[in-house]
Amino acid sequence: MNTVNAIFTRQMSALLRKEFLEAWRDRRALWMAICFSLLFPVLLAGSTIFFVKKHAEESTRLALLGGEQVPVLAQQLRSDSLEVVIVNEGEPRALLADGYDLVLQVAEGFVDGYRNFRAPKLYLYVDSSSTSAGRAERHLQERLGGLQQLIVSQRLSARGVAPQLLAPWQLQVRDVSTPSSRGALILAMVPGLLILTLFVASLATSVDTSAGERERLSLETLLLQPLPGWQLISAKMLAVASMGWLGALLAIAALVALMPLMPLAELGIQQATTVAGVITMGLLLLPLAMLVAVVQILLALRSQSFKDAQTQLSILQLAPVTLLMVLDMSRVELGEPLWQLMPLVGQQQWLKALLVGDSVSLPLVVAGSLVCLGLVGLFVALGARALRRESLLGAL
Amino acid sequence: MADVQDGRTSSSCYLDGWGDALRCYRIAVGLDATAVELSVTVAPAVNDVGREPLYLLAGGPGQAASDLAPLLNAFRRINRERDIVMVDRRGAGHSAAFRCGFERDMPVDLQSFSRQLARCYLQQPQFAEALSSRQAVEDLELVRKTLAHERIALWGGSWGTRTALLYQQWYPDSLSALVLDAVAPIDTKVFLTATAAERAMQILERDCAGDAVCAGLGNWRGDLDQLLAGWNAEMAARFPDPVTGVPAAIPLPRWALANSIRAALYDPAAAAQLPYAIHQASRGNYLPLSGISGLFLNTADGMAMGLTFSVACAEELNRITAEDVVADSKGSFLGSAFYELFHSGCQGWPVTAKPYSVPESRAQPVLLISGEADPITPPYYAEQALAYLSRKQHLVVPGGGHINSRRGCIPELIARFLNAPESPLDQSCVAEIRRPPFMADAFGPALGGKLGGEPQGGGL
Repeated sequence: MNTVNAIFTRQMSALLRKEFLEAWRDRRALWMAICFSLLFPVLLAGSTIFFVKKHAEESTRLALLGGEQVPVLAQQLRSDSLEVVIVNEGEPRALLADGYDLVLQVAEGFVDGYRNFRAPKLYLYVDSSSTSAGRAERHLQERLGGLQQLIVSQRLSARGVAPQLLAPWQLQVRDVSTPSSRGALILAMVPGLLILTLFVASLATSVDTSAGERERLSLETLLLQPLPGWQLISAKMLAVASMGWLGALLAIAALVALMPLMPLAELGIQQATTVAGVITMGLLLLPLAMLVAVVQILLALRSQSFKDAQTQLSILQLAPVTLLMVLDMSRVELGEPLWQLMPLVGQQQWLKALLVGDSVSLPLVVAGSLVCLGLVGLFVALGARALRRESLLGAL
Repeated sequence: MADVQDGRTSSSCYLDGWGDALRCYRIAVGLDATAVELSVTVAPAVNDVGREPLYLLAGGPGQAASDLAPLLNAFRRINRERDIVMVDRRGAGHSAAFRCGFERDMPVDLQSFSRQLARCYLQQPQFAEALSSRQAVEDLELVRKTLAHERIALWGGSWGTRTALLYQQWYPDSLSALVLDAVAPIDTKVFLTATAAERAMQILERDCAGDAVCAGLGNWRGDLDQLLAGWNAEMAARFPDPVTGVPAAIPLPRWALANSIRAALYDPAAAAQLPYAIHQASRGNYLPLSGISGLFLNTADGMAMGLTFSVACAEELNRITAEDVVADSKGSFLGSAFYELFHSGCQGWPVTAKPYSVPESRAQPVLLISGEADPITPPYYAEQALAYLSRKQHLVVPGGGHINSRRGCIPELIARFLNAPESPLDQSCVAEIRRPPFMADAFGPALGGKLGGEPQGGGL
């Protein structure tokens, strides 16, 4: 009870007021936090919508060079997604430059060769450096494959052979994913981005409250107050964390609000994030926000100048994303309980699960959060010790 | 892996033809000799937004709804917001299939077929007697209640449309909308198929005559009539088996040949090979005809013959008179070949007649889908025998065979209908569904030459 009382002493609440006021009064820092928080949900939603629209609506233009000898082929290839234009003459390269996605050249004497079972050739000209090349080839292969199957089936029938003789077995594919877990493919980067948002949104404030205050020479006045160092660091940490946390909450809210606009169902993905899940996501980011804030403040205090602090923290914000990417690529089993006790990794795993509607283990979340808060305590203590060094003020 | 949903225990399961996991339920129905654990499979909606589920009703009678799983590929869009439910009716599929030992093809020897059926009946007479449309509908209603579905939409295919129409008669309040593909109206004697098959053959003739390459095969229709009329023991013994390549152990009787030609009309891809195959057969080469019959080897797989005969004998064969058969067969290539099979089977399957009452008018929105050249449920069934339905739309697929729900824009139209059953559909895209190219010779379809009948689109 003594500690609690100590936290809420009048000086402490005055200090807290001062720190929060300074943090939230800085409009530029606030706007930066808000903008960055909204940026990635909008980008993610936008790119998904664009991808599905493009996938569904774009059609392929095919020039059938020498197609006048094979009108039935042209007719059978045509579909909603494949526009077939018979071209009598032309140079494939020029036709590709002329707005066609593909050029299919029918070899001379194709019809004779086909009738005599000589497997005549079709030449497909494609510009593989074009973004539409893959889609165009897929559109053509779909139609060409279907026609080929029809012809093979007719040829077999003509010889009295049941087409099933060509299928010695049937392979039945059984997908064990669930409509919500398929969302993990698209939402995989979201936890990392949310954590990045924490770093970016609190960056300006943490520099300002430490290195900034030192340069404004107001840190000295603050240190003269009859306040223990840990209270000073805690107040600053809470003010900075509030900014980072706000950014992350805003990003989560924007993401959840934009989800219904994303054509997830068309990709077979279930929108499974629940209200309880969203609240949990917000809560479990709070200890991490505090940890990020205190680390940023300590680094900024250690730095030579305001500018130096900015540089150091900019580099720091890349660290978590890089770390998570490296861990992901190294195929470490991050779902293991021990990993979840590690700050960053734990939060990433829980966010990942909650986003696709899976449940998280409450004891693990509590344990992981306690580890995180323990580190916060440790860093606050370190900070309090650093404040006692006089060299801190001299750094310029 | 079991979990409890809607108060029922379900397990995760799979069906052939669909790769995603499904939810399977077991629901006990019936007592004593007729007790069965119904197999109910649900393809859950990707996003459950509270739309009515769509129940799929299979054909036959004797086919299982779980055999319709491949249809989920075409119904992906519907499945985004609706559960799709497949209930294997009693005696079919995973609900105690009543197969009577017929696992593969239909037999070619009518007498031994009837004997095997009769023995099968005697083993489970009570079960056989109880299988009926009424039972299937009651079971379906029980499933609907058990799964806590307030109202449902039905998709019926072929005989499944009959079950759907009867469900609509008996439980109109449980129903929101009907999609009927290849409709078998309640009052129509659908086991009289000769006239419908003849009509489908004539449409094939018409389309073939309009195709430059196919027209070159000459009077193949005359060849067909001659072939069937002159079919003899020597020819029957020479007819090759499409799997082994050598003449079959049992010579192919004329009725079986006529039936296999009829079966080819179900599927436009097979029908496109008929003119060439018949042309060749009339010149002594039976290989192409045998090859076409090979296309249908697996279709009898899913039929539970015991169920087929229980329903067919009690609800269809009993109301067909000898005069009906004569009138239907007259002037057709099929004659009574299809009817005979069921007629002789029903001799050894003495279930009591279960007549329907006259259908009462109903106002649920109904989407009817017919193949123009369907040899068993032609479009005129939908046009003539469903006057009691006040709100219906009819899609007729040009040159289409039996069941068209997977073709062209039909899945899209079904999805649109289910979402707005009251508004009329823009049907223009149906006309774009084409027959596959006719087989021209041993090399397959002619890719060159002239296009018959159709405008040459594109950049000409």
